[in-house]
Amino acid sequence: MPEPNAELSSRQVEHVARLARLGITPDEVDRYRDQLRKILHHIEALNRADTTTVPATAHPLEERNVMRDDVREACLPVEAALENAPSREDSYFKVKAIQE
Amino acid sequence: MSAIATRYEVVVGLEVHAQILTESKMFCGCSTDYLIAPPNANTCPVCLGLPGSLPVINRKAVEATIRTALALNCEIPEFSKFDRKNYFYPDLPKGYQISQYDLPFSRRGYLEFDIKGETRRCGITRVHLEEDTGKLLHAGTIDEAQSSLVNFNRAGVPLMEIVSEPDMRSADEAREYVMRLRAILQYIGVNNGDMESGQLRCDANVSLRPEGATEYGTKVEVKNMNSFRGIHRAIQYEIERQSQVLDTGGKLVQETRGWNDARGLTVSQRTKEFAEDYRYFPEPDLPPLDVSREWVDEIRATLPELPAARRDRFIHAYGLSPYDASLLTSARPMAEYLEDSVRRGAPAKTAANWILGDFSRLLNADHKEIQDSAIEPEHLAQLIQLVDSGAISGKMAKQIFEEMYRAADPGPALEQAKGSSQISGDAELERIANQVIAENEKSVMDFKAGKEQALRFLIGQGMKISKGRANPGRLQEVLASKLVNPR
Amino acid sequence: MRLFQRTIHDLHQMLVDREISSAELTESVLAQIEAVGEKTRAYLLVTRDLALRQAKAADERLKRKRDVAPLTGIPIALKDVLCVKDVTSTAGSKILKGFLPPYSATVVERLEADGAVFLGKTNCDEFAMGSSNENSGYWPVHNPWALDRVPGGSSGGSAAAVASGEAIAALGSDTGGSIRQPAALTGIVGMKPTYGRVSRYGLIAFASSLDQIGPMTRDVVDCAVLLQAVAGHDRRDSTSSQRPVPDYLATLRNGVKGMKLGVPKEYFVAGMEPAVEQSIRDAIGLFEQQGASIEEVSLPHSDVALPAYYIIAPAEASSNLARYDGTRYGFQAGSGRNLIDEYMQTREEGFGAEVKRRIMLGTYALSAGYYDAYYLQAQKVRTLIIEDFKRAFTRVDALLGATSPTVAFPLGAKTQDPVAMYLNDIITIPANLGNVCGVSVPCGLVDGLPIGLQIIAPGFREEVALRVAYAFEAATEFHKAQSPLLGAAA
Repeated sequence: MPEPNAELSSRQVEHVARLARLGITPDEVDRYRDQLRKILHHIEALNRADTTTVPATAHPLEERNVMRDDVREACLPVEAALENAPSREDSYFKVKAIQE
Repeated sequence: MSAIATRYEVVVGLEVHAQILTESKMFCGCSTDYLIAPPNANTCPVCLGLPGSLPVINRKAVEATIRTALALNCEIPEFSKFDRKNYFYPDLPKGYQISQYDLPFSRRGYLEFDIKGETRRCGITRVHLEEDTGKLLHAGTIDEAQSSLVNFNRAGVPLMEIVSEPDMRSADEAREYVMRLRAILQYIGVNNGDMESGQLRCDANVSLRPEGATEYGTKVEVKNMNSFRGIHRAIQYEIERQSQVLDTGGKLVQETRGWNDARGLTVSQRTKEFAEDYRYFPEPDLPPLDVSREWVDEIRATLPELPAARRDRFIHAYGLSPYDASLLTSARPMAEYLEDSVRRGAPAKTAANWILGDFSRLLNADHKEIQDSAIEPEHLAQLIQLVDSGAISGKMAKQIFEEMYRAADPGPALEQAKGSSQISGDAELERIANQVIAENEKSVMDFKAGKEQALRFLIGQGMKISKGRANPGRLQEVLASKLVNPR
Repeated sequence: MRLFQRTIHDLHQMLVDREISSAELTESVLAQIEAVGEKTRAYLLVTRDLALRQAKAADERLKRKRDVAPLTGIPIALKDVLCVKDVTSTAGSKILKGFLPPYSATVVERLEADGAVFLGKTNCDEFAMGSSNENSGYWPVHNPWALDRVPGGSSGGSAAAVASGEAIAALGSDTGGSIRQPAALTGIVGMKPTYGRVSRYGLIAFASSLDQIGPMTRDVVDCAVLLQAVAGHDRRDSTSSQRPVPDYLATLRNGVKGMKLGVPKEYFVAGMEPAVEQSIRDAIGLFEQQGASIEEVSLPHSDVALPAYYIIAPAEASSNLARYDGTRYGFQAGSGRNLIDEYMQTREEGFGAEVKRRIMLGTYALSAGYYDAYYLQAQKVRTLIIEDFKRAFTRVDALLGATSPTVAFPLGAKTQDPVAMYLNDIITIPANLGNVCGVSVPCGLVDGLPIGLQIIAPGFREEVALRVAYAFEAATEFHKAQSPLLGAAA
């Protein structure tokens, strides 16, 4: 496992930005790296807490088994579903072709 | 093929995705009838991933998943939850798929199937529940198109993923596994088994290793098979391709390859620029689930007789061969057809021969299933009765069956067959009645002493003499009048 | 006193008595928006026509004396993170510019059913990420008490609107202090209910396990009234609790005599302004005079709440904000060479710096190899914080502390230093992580700037927090202080 205390590198920032589909310029890479380093440095305080026998919070609520019956409900009118689409063709959403 | 098998051991694991038969989607009330709806007509804020919308779990989908897991002999943990699988793709509206990661509804089961008369057991790693994605329409091929069109009608349809252990050792085994699995899913009513339309989908992980090796070889994932035949051919192709690479000293790359059915080969689907990192984490919008033993028992109680048990019963109670019994139980409608025919008086073996023989041949040619045919078990039982009684020859029966099959209503063809061979003439019926009375003195005495049921026996004897051709109603009249007023 | 200066309960009586109409009241508030809107910039969108239409309908109900609810005819502002059908809802982000939701949030439907009047959508930090409102994708909000200062955030527009008379009350959302901190900085009452008390359906998500909608009002009675209207189970939000909602007004005036109130020693953080600390100590003294017993308690994991929050919230946000890809709604760059490029450009141009920072932080914390060290560790720390509160609440009925360690700071003072900005929420974040509720009430002024007292009660015990808050308010005059924008109009 990578060492969490290791300083965040520019390459990691680029990798994370790509994972998150965020375009960033080379200038920004360094700026985000420095800011994130500072934030991460602050976050290292997490390790001050002894959690060896502590379970992670599964969910903030104590509720369990919240389910609904298998019943159909009205859908949106097609026009309402597509109303906000920046690009469309007939009743389809239109996107650029997927080419990696 | 055999030459390959002696040099390399084939290792196959399968991931089967099965859409669950529910009325509404996994996390919203939209209809699941996505195949017939106009584009994007079956959508709402939830399945479109609109800002602010939230999922609510469909109980029926959860129960169907647990039912499937029980049918596959899985363990059902007492605690389960949903997780988010994060990745970007235009058919994935939220930028994540709600799925299950480390605490699925079930794990560690198995599925048994027969291969060359021997029973094999394949481990089931897990059965988990997730939501299906939307569908992309490419103008032209995926490589040439400038744009794609997105339809979210399928997005959010409940989907089970059934993951096997890498326990299969040939394309035959893989095909057999999927056939068995499909039968089970249909039997328990969770999936319609339709591979062509993608409601049941199968991906295969195929690798080779030298005979005797313990480490697995480089794994290739094969996708896009949409029939049993396709699965078999794709895996077989992949085995041969991989062994050729290895034979010529090449190295295999871990990749995803798509099966092209028309060309009969697998094609590399561009290796990704960098490894996917799905960043799974627990879905905060859905509280976890406690799966109580009482709930599991309730679900277990709804399980019908499974194919394996039915197959054993067909062998022992009906005297069918293991091979026939397996085939007949591979699809629930077919097994039920046989049972219905037997219930209507047809001998099981004869009915089985019809179903697996002429009937299947005709259905296959038309790409139809037995439940699509107008010929009911009742019709089949009557036809068999005509042959067994000698009223018509086997050859004639085959012709009549095909006529029945082609007709919108099989009734007239069957009636005609009965009518053309029936004896209704008084003279001949009298001759038969006389012979019956002469040969069954005791029953005649019984009848005269007041035992009404003796008449039933005598009619039966008459039918036998006439090889079933006598009109039973007329025969009864003639017999009765002779017995009451003996000349 | 002009109509827009009054409280909900006050106006309700006037409406019921037919002393005023909702139309007059609404016009009065709309006129105040006209007058000071350019100074506070509290609204992103004023729905004037909708408000007048709703006011007219409310007047019908009032005239017929049928279906009259405490909010019938009351003009309310909605934070822009709440979806309103066919009304532009952007969460303060350019990536949602022009987005017209085809549906309304559950809280919006409930207010509509009660006959409330919607004034418009209030400005906020983009996707509710911020403590100063300077992260709005559109423009910053100015504090009505001092226009060169921030109103706090992220519900800064809602806070400024209530503090300036541009709304009688408002709804905000609180993920790490986003209702309480701006309430404190603008001298109003703001409550973060317990997670699960109010439906999140239709709330544009920031961090799903922490977000909660709550009231922002001029006094504690109004706070109880508005909470009452929106609280309760919603079948469309699986995380909304099925627990019954108590009558918040029934116990409001029971006083604090005999109650045990805890003072967490960790809440007097380093860097707290002396005037803030003094106000809180004075408030504690006042409770003692009123017959409450005061006890110092310890919430030992308070110091790791902020780091845990800055893992959990960005991690959830990184996933919640993945849907903004320009395909189905919102901004689309349109210039990408291919789809990935298009996604990257859309998100680069559509999101602001702080949102991008948090998406990257969250993506990193969830990525392969870091999950255990960051996300899992943070969720374990969350368990410790929940246990801290549970332990404290076995000894006391409620906890007292400051809402914010400082008063409103000048615009631009902390924009260059994310960590300094994050420290604003150091005393509000534990209540979000700990599944408890908290309310901020005005408890003093220093150099003309408001100070907030935070009262924290156990999960689903909002009535306890409100009762303590009311006792304080009834014994003090702080809530009557009006911002120059509000008071000058008198």
